[in-house]
Amino acid sequence: MIVVDKLCYRSGLRYVNAAEKFIFSIITLLFCVVSRSLVIAGIAFAINGWLTMKKGRIPGALYAKLLAVPFSFLILSTLAVIVNVSKVPLDAYAIPVGSFFITGSFQSMMFGVQLIGTAMASVSCLYFLSLNTTMTDFLGVLAKLHCPEILMELMLLIYRFIFVLMETASAIMVSQKSRLGNKDFRTSVDSFGKMGAGLLIRAFKRSNALYDAMESRCYDGKIRVLEENHSAKRKEIAAIAVFELVLLGITVWRKMI
Amino acid sequence: MSKKEKLLLKASIAFAVMFAVTPAVNAMHIMEGYLPAKYCIAWGVICVPFLAAGFISLKKKIAANRKSITLIAMAGAFIFVISSLKIPSVTGSCSHMTGTGLGAILFGPAAVSILGIIVLLFQAILLAHGGLTTLGANTFSMAIAGPLLSFAIYKLCGKFKVNRKVSVFLAAFLGDLFTYCVTSIQLAMAYPSEAGGAGASAVKFLGVFAPTQLPLAVIEGILTVIIIMAMESYAKPELKAIGFLKEAK
Repeated sequence: MIVVDKLCYRSGLRYVNAAEKFIFSIITLLFCVVSRSLVIAGIAFAINGWLTMKKGRIPGALYAKLLAVPFSFLILSTLAVIVNVSKVPLDAYAIPVGSFFITGSFQSMMFGVQLIGTAMASVSCLYFLSLNTTMTDFLGVLAKLHCPEILMELMLLIYRFIFVLMETASAIMVSQKSRLGNKDFRTSVDSFGKMGAGLLIRAFKRSNALYDAMESRCYDGKIRVLEENHSAKRKEIAAIAVFELVLLGITVWRKMI
Repeated sequence: MSKKEKLLLKASIAFAVMFAVTPAVNAMHIMEGYLPAKYCIAWGVICVPFLAAGFISLKKKIAANRKSITLIAMAGAFIFVISSLKIPSVTGSCSHMTGTGLGAILFGPAAVSILGIIVLLFQAILLAHGGLTTLGANTFSMAIAGPLLSFAIYKLCGKFKVNRKVSVFLAAFLGDLFTYCVTSIQLAMAYPSEAGGAGASAVKFLGVFAPTQLPLAVIEGILTVIIIMAMESYAKPELKAIGFLKEAK
């Protein structure tokens, strides 16, 4: 139901040490955000794309579709950055409207391009992590970072419940559709609300049953899962270190000039 | 077909595909990598006291009754699922509700702050709504500011004995609007306009997102009313279990 969750289980990089993938994507992400340079964004975007599609064997068409998810936010907010309303025209373009100008400067245009580059590269870092790491592995990394126990437990439970609830929701929606539950706008809003209520009621009922089931299996406040341990390879660590050092070098070099 | 015609056809298909993919209007998560580093950190730090308060309250709740952990987790999963489903919209673009207003009314703002950050983390990883670096800013607008206002309005309406439907609607609607305003201000502070500074920039961000966010807030309000009303007529015992009805009556 959630495409990313399905894809990460068949990724070619699934069995690479999770902490390694986590560190790689987070540090690259930080370099993208801190440096804001198009060069770093380009490198990160290319490397992440290559790793995800070639090494991870994630289909390219799907990857492109996923990259387009935050597209509308990107377009709208970048538009707000590069378009100004002012009494004085700026240097790049100026369209007079009454006594005002819809205007922008070259500097802000460049800035907008830089922003789009950085954002897309950052999204590719995020996708590298989420398309190649299963959620349980990711939670394992968080546990190693000493995330509080209650939070860990909540996250694990929420992750399990998401799929149960999604299935229930889609079953309810299918039966609503088959009974003309969305024949017009009014009815479909009503149906959606009723689906939400039904879903919440079922969620509550199920949570009671689930607690009983867990308790009867000796649940004492901690869910212990056996973790598959894939130790990090020296070669991979070295490659990541070199890559991040190159990014660091470029960042420092760009800041110097 | 000549070569030129073929090229034209391909170009038009590519153009159409581009538009077929784009219209996904989310509840305004700031995307990954869109905020400068210092703003990411600042918003994260601002969230800490609220999250700590939420954490302590959750811990107390669970210590008092161990059984409530599955209930709280279900609530979190519910917020995730309801915000990942397409809601009916007038324009035909697909939009999602935030669900945090509903959560704040049902479970209180403290629980929602922690559930909110977990849901936002999952949304970032599983759906690419929002991101890891912008988690702090998104948490503040969606899991703290919006729910707090929703809860305050709901309580206030309860005190002045406003009609229940109206109060639920107002709480969800204004909470959603507030989230959208806070997000716009967050963006404006990071990217002040060259003509007019942060104030002008805030107006621009508000204006750019208004066409998608205003109808969304109204629909979210209506949906929340329908959900709460249906819950009250079908699930009184469950609502008592989470302490919702006792407070209301």
